[in-house]
Amino acid sequence: MTVIDLITRVDAICKKYEKYDIDKHKEANVTGDDAFARLYGVVESEIDAALQKSEAAATEKSRATAVAMNAEIRRTKARLLEELPKLQRLALKKVKGLSREELEARNDLVYSLKDRIEAIPDGSTAAAKQSGGVSGGWAASSSYTGIKIDSSSEAFESEYFQQTEESDRFRQEYEMRRMKQDQGLEVIAEGLDTLKNMAHDMNEEIDRQMPLMDEIDEKVDRAASDLKNTNVRLKDTVNQLRSSRNFCIDIILLCIILGIAAYLYNVLK
Amino acid sequence: MSTSDPSKLISKADKLTKLSLTRWSADWKSATVLYEQAANGFRVARNYEKAKLAFEKASQGQEMLSSPWDAAKHMESAAALAKELRNWAEVIDFYRKASELYMQCDRPQPASDALAKGARALEDALPDDAIQLYTDACVILEDDGKEQMAFDLYRAATSVYVKLEKYTDAAAFLLRLGLAADKCNARNSQCKAYLSAIIVYLYAHDLKQAEKCYNDCSQIDAFLGSDQNRCASKLLSAYTEGDVEEIKRVAQSSAISNLDNVIIKLARKLP
Repeated sequence: MTVIDLITRVDAICKKYEKYDIDKHKEANVTGDDAFARLYGVVESEIDAALQKSEAAATEKSRATAVAMNAEIRRTKARLLEELPKLQRLALKKVKGLSREELEARNDLVYSLKDRIEAIPDGSTAAAKQSGGVSGGWAASSSYTGIKIDSSSEAFESEYFQQTEESDRFRQEYEMRRMKQDQGLEVIAEGLDTLKNMAHDMNEEIDRQMPLMDEIDEKVDRAASDLKNTNVRLKDTVNQLRSSRNFCIDIILLCIILGIAAYLYNVLK
Repeated sequence: MSTSDPSKLISKADKLTKLSLTRWSADWKSATVLYEQAANGFRVARNYEKAKLAFEKASQGQEMLSSPWDAAKHMESAAALAKELRNWAEVIDFYRKASELYMQCDRPQPASDALAKGARALEDALPDDAIQLYTDACVILEDDGKEQMAFDLYRAATSVYVKLEKYTDAAAFLLRLGLAADKCNARNSQCKAYLSAIIVYLYAHDLKQAEKCYNDCSQIDAFLGSDQNRCASKLLSAYTEGDVEEIKRVAQSSAISNLDNVIIKLARKLP
């Protein structure tokens, strides 16, 4: 019996079981006030999605995509496991319109949910099943897949050292990726160093130029006010000049008229 | 006016200023104008010797007219021409005189600028005098309280010292730079100065001095918490262990690559 058959069987069983649950929960969810039911529904749908992904991963030919999908599944599982305690707390809360039996049922539901999450195949549990023989698939697998950076190498080493070549390749890939990440991080660190140095230098340069700018500001202000003063005075002077020139013209014209008048007087006399 | 022969202008101006029986007081005003024109004319004609003379006389005239600023400016031009003629003694003289005149105007910054220009001109020919000029320039700036401007001068002086292979003096200058940086709260420059001093000591194969220097600098808070401090301690520990690879690796690190070019060259040549 191959792993794939196992998985399909387990999936079928899960699906059958889920049907019952979903009906119940849909009724409870109708109200919309029930936070527990909502969260439960969300977790359910995510479990479904993860299961589908795991099925796809199992049938995937390309090693890399399978590995990536398994990683995704593991991440989802860890996230769901984190949300479980929240769910538990909500389960214990009393919601109006809910009987006591339902409350207890909720607790049980939460526990079974935990089992289901962990049972989602993600590449490591599949191998566990293989070594653990054919079971219902519901037994909480002992491989606790805590999310590390994208690998499950620890689980591999501790449990099944009779390596399948798949896990070997996987480990190599992990090492290579980690090295590449380290290199990239080093490059970034160097760049940041240069930036920091440049920023410091710029800071000091600007500090240096600040008093100079203040001086320039002061001098320019002084020069501007001087100019303004001078302009005003110039305007006054020019006005005065003009008016005094008019005054002179007046006097001159007056003299001319007097002269003409005297001449006429002389002639007429 | 400016197209007429500059030598004629000079002779005319000379006549105006020379006291004789007919002339009881020298007419510096017109003479200075003529001298300036003559100097410009000579400079255009690339007759540096005569141009220099003309600038000198023009500067003298401006002094007589009690405008030290213009006098200083003419002195500087004269000094630049002397540099072209490679007449080093005159270069020093002129730049010093120019800087004094600037100080008379109460402007220490152009004064130190003039000295710095002189020092730069002399770097290749008379490095010792160059260092003297740099030190004087730095002193002027520090008296004025403008240490920030002195950074560049200190760095230039250190590079001259390193060229002369006087490493202790170079390190001493770097420490002075650190002190000046401390006064202006320029942490980064300060730490860089101290790191450079340590490197210079190490290059001179003076491990004791380097360690002493490191201990001294560790007293200063700003240095203690800085990148450069870590780099320095790594370098010193690599030295005490005699680990050549480690030394080379630290010398390639970014903290050292941010220092002055001269210092980087020294660091790369370690051990």
